[in-house]
Order: sequence, then C-alpha cells, then structure tokens
Amino acid sequence: MWKLKGENISKSFGGVTALKEVNFGIKEGEIVGLIGPNGAGKTTLFNVVAGVYRPDKGSIYLDDENVTNLNSHQLCRKGIARTFQIPRPFPELTCLENIMVSIIGREEKIHNSNEKLKEAKKFLKFVDLDNYGNILAKNLNLIQKKRLEVARALATNPKIMLLDEVFAGLNNTEIRDAVKLIERMKNEFEITQFWIEHVMGVIMEIAERIIVLDNGEKISEGKPIEVARDPKVIEAYLGDTDV
Amino acid sequence: MKKSNKNLLLVIFLGIVVCLPFLLDDYWLHVAILTLFYVIMASSWNLLAGYTGQVSFAHAAFAAIGAYISGILSVQMSISPLITLLFGSVIAAIFGLGLGLLCLKMGGIYLSLTTLGFSEIVHIIIKNEYEITRGTMGLEVPNLLGFYSKTAYFYIMLLVTFIIIFFLAKLIKSDHGLKFKSVLNDELAASSIGIDTVKVRVIAFTISSAIAGFAGGLYGHYLLLITPEMSSLSQMFMILAMTIIGGMGTLSGPIAGAVFLQVLSEYIRIFGKFHLLLFGVISLLVIKFAPGGIVGLYRKITQSKTDPLKIETQSKYDY
Ligand SMILES: Nc1ncnc2c1ncn2[C@@H]1O[C@H](COP(=O)(O)OP(=O)(O)OP(=O)(O)O)[C@@H](O)[C@H]1O
Ligand SMILES: [Mg+2]
Repeated sequence: MWKLKGENISKSFGGVTALKEVNFGIKEGEIVGLIGPNGAGKTTLFNVVAGVYRPDKGSIYLDDENVTNLNSHQLCRKGIARTFQIPRPFPELTCLENIMVSIIGREEKIHNSNEKLKEAKKFLKFVDLDNYGNILAKNLNLIQKKRLEVARALATNPKIMLLDEVFAGLNNTEIRDAVKLIERMKNEFEITQFWIEHVMGVIMEIAERIIVLDNGEKISEGKPIEVARDPKVIEAYLGDTDV
Repeated sequence: MKKSNKNLLLVIFLGIVVCLPFLLDDYWLHVAILTLFYVIMASSWNLLAGYTGQVSFAHAAFAAIGAYISGILSVQMSISPLITLLFGSVIAAIFGLGLGLLCLKMGGIYLSLTTLGFSEIVHIIIKNEYEITRGTMGLEVPNLLGFYSKTAYFYIMLLVTFIIIFFLAKLIKSDHGLKFKSVLNDELAASSIGIDTVKVRVIAFTISSAIAGFAGGLYGHYLLLITPEMSSLSQMFMILAMTIIGGMGTLSGPIAGAVFLQVLSEYIRIFGKFHLLLFGVISLLVIKFAPGGIVGLYRKITQSKTDPLKIETQSKYDY
C-alpha cells in the first residue's frame, strides 16, 4: 500500500543522533511535507532514503521492495529523484548538458541524439529555462539554479521526488511560481512528492499530509491543520528563532 | 576568434608538423618523437585528472608496464613488436582495471596514494627482477619496424598521436564524456541522477592505462633500450607538469604543455635534474595564478572581447 516506506530508521554522526527510530510512509500520488526546526534531521532522512548514507538501523521499502542497501544511482534508477537544500547543478556544464546527464543516466536509453536533445529541451522548458540552454550553470542565480535542479531531477523520469527546501530564499512572487511548478509536477508527471520545508508556510496549503521531526524524532503526523495545532509541534517551533 | 580562422591556424600547424622531418636535424627530430610520446601520455593522463578528477601517479608506471611487456615478449618469444605492442597495452589496461576496482571507490587522496604505492612497486620490481628485466642495465628491445629510420618512426608516432587525440576528442564529446564531466563537477549530484560514478571512473582509468601502455611500448621500441627510469616518479612528474602547465581539462592543453616543456628541457639540460624543480615551481605558479594553463591564458586573451557567457561547450548538445 505504501509507495515509499521507512521503518525504524536511525542514524547518528559520531555523538550526534540525527535520526531516532523514525517511521514514515508515503502513498502513490501523495504530496507529503516534512517539517521541523533547524537540525531536526530532515535532510539526513532524505540522504538516507536517497542512498547517500546507510541507516545505522532500520529499513527502507520502495513498492514493498527492500532498498535499504542500494546506492544513490541505483535508487535513482528505481525511481527516487531528489533536489539538494543548497542547489548543486553541475557548475561547469551548460543548463542543457546538466539535464542531458540525467537522460543518459536513465535505464531506458534514448539512442537517437535528436530525440535526446528534444527530451532535454522539454524539461528545460518545463522550468522556464529554455533561453538558458547554452549558459553554464554556474552563471545562474539561486532561483534559476533551483529550477534547473528540479528539471534535472525530473529528467530522470522518477516516480518519487524528494524536494529539500525548494522555497528557501524565495520571495512571495517566486514562491507562487514555485507552487505552480509543484502542482504541474503532480498533474503532468504524476509524481509522488516528499517535501522538506523548514518553515510552516506554503507547505501547509499544498501538502496533503505533514510529518514533523524534532531532534531526530517524529513528534507529529497528520493533516496540516491537525499538525499546526499539535502542542508538541508548537513547542518544538517555539525554540526556533527563524519562524 | 572566428571558426574559419581557427581552422586555418590548425591546418597551418598540422602542415608544419607533417613537414618536421624535412625541417629538423637528426637530433631535433629525436626530440620531436619524444615530444609525441609525451603528448600521448599527458593527453591520456588528462582524461583522468582533467575530465574525471582522479589524480593518478601510476601513469608512467603503466607506460613502463606496456614497454616491458612488449619488450620482453618480443625478445624472449621473438614475436613481432607490432603484435607485442598490443599485448603491452592490454596488460596495462588489465592492471589499470584491477587498480581501478581496488581503489576508485575511495577516490580523492586515497586514490592518489594508492597509485603512488603501485607506481613504486612497479619500479622496484623492474629494478630487481634482473633475470627478466635486466634491472638498471636496461633491456635491449628490437626496433618496431625491423629497420632504423627516425623519419619513419616520427610518422608512425604522429599517426598514433592523431588517432589517440581523435579518439579522446570523440570520447569527451560523447555521452561518456558528459558523464566524466558530471562526475568531475559533482559526484554526489551525479550519483543522485543515476550515474554510476565508480563505474565511470573505472572506465576512464582503464582507457587511460591502455593508452599509456601502448605509448610506453612505442617509446621502448624506438629507444631500443628500456630502463626502470621509465616508471620513475620524475617521469610521472613530467607528465603531470605538462598537463597542468598546458591546461587541464582541455584537449589542446596537454599537447601545448608537452611541446613547451619538452623543448624547454632541451634548453635547460645543463641543469641536470634541476629542470624538474623548475617545472615544479612553474606548475605551482600556474595552479595559483592561471589554473587554465597555457590554453586558459590563450582563451582569455582571444575571448575577452566577446560575451563571457558564451563559452564554447565541448559537448555535441547545442541549441
Ligand atoms: N554529514 C554529517 N556529519 C555530521 N553531522 C551531520 C551530518 N549531516 C547532518 N549532521 C547533523 O545531524 C543533525 C541533523 O541535520 P540535518 O541536516 O538533517 O537537519 P535539517 O533538519 O535538515 O536542518 P535544516 O533545517 O537546518 O536544514 C544536525 O545536528 C547536523 O549537524
Ligand atoms: Mg536540511
């Protein structure tokens, strides 16, 4: 029933416990938000799910298949794509090449170069970067870099997208554009989305369900309204100065 | 610079290179042949360091493996060097693959240290397995062609250099090349979009080892005497300095660097081994002040008037 499921995931770095026995599940087609104050362990959970770190304990299932021990590139080929909190497009490659890498990394290869080019342009267009194809990614501004990264992740043809703070550093107009992008991602590509936000803002309007982490532990889960009213969540956020 | 101008320059350059045997005396023709060897070595090392970010210190050792395998087979079994040359290259590739699988998972500084260790082991074995390698005395090997002609050898080296540079250019422009560059740019990001970064690096490592082995064989069958010096660190250091000074991560950089340093070494011979020290200093200065090397400087000068964003891309994917 779960598209993606994590069971009792624990991860520590030296003395720091970043995740403590975290359980979560995401259904096909859902948009789930993951929130929590600074250092709660959100990014770490993504890194564990995406195969960057192995969990110390616990397992991850994708369509009921245990994928805990797979590497990043294997997980990507199984359909998990992600963006990074601080965007990491390939700086010395052009925007088009950035996306091309995703396309040639796919399991199902496109052999014809024109087809490949068409496919890459499709994703550039999707994030409104079609005029930037030949520009090196390092010359983009932050928002463009984020968009390029979303396009690059989308170009791997994922089933699930892990988005790490796509809204951070954006102003209101830009956030509205980003929201549109996320809705189109769901509608046009039918992608299940697992989505980190640091602040409780827009995410409360879009997400169907919210999971809250604090100090590496899941402290709350449910509909956005329920979570926002949860005393434990309010308390966790009280100590957090950024809200 | 306009494309047509660039092509014209290239044609003139190639024309001069092809005529070199008629322009140079015997001694400088010898230098030209050695230069071609270094062009191949630096270009193939650049595939590793410049395009996938792996600083290997075993490149000279792979050339020595190629030279000794080819030399020993042709001496002991009287097989034509034209065939043993290929064996040398294949064996170097196999060692490259093995070493690659062993240490490319580690990456970074560990890769460098492991290749350094490997290089020393090869050096020691060649020095000490006197029965087979003739140790520091050097191993006499037959001429590739069966007759001695510097002019003929120059053209063979030139042809091989062309083929290898052409192959490298194709490779870098291909999808494989794009994968190489993505790994160089950001390994974590590359693996997050489905690139098997370890495999990509092992492939680059194996290809470059094969090329080094082949070049080493050619070098041996030209000099007719191969010594452990081939696998020495000073030899490795020459290749490294040539690539860095010429410009890492570009096709023309290692070519420019090899020509520049090889010719320069001829003029500063009198200082003996100290020329390596000088190259070291130049390399450091280049890394600090002109990381693009000679080619980078050239590009800066010729492109400064154009839009800085319109940088030539090296892949075939263009709007
Ligand atoms: N690679 C690492 N090495 C050591 N400690 C780490 C590492 N990655 C994360 N941590 C630690 O784990 C804890 C959780 O960090 P994480 O980045 O997952 O938090 P987060 O919820 O994403 O916070 P933020 O909102 O600031 O992005 C922090 O204490 C952090 O310092
Ligand atoms: Mg984070």
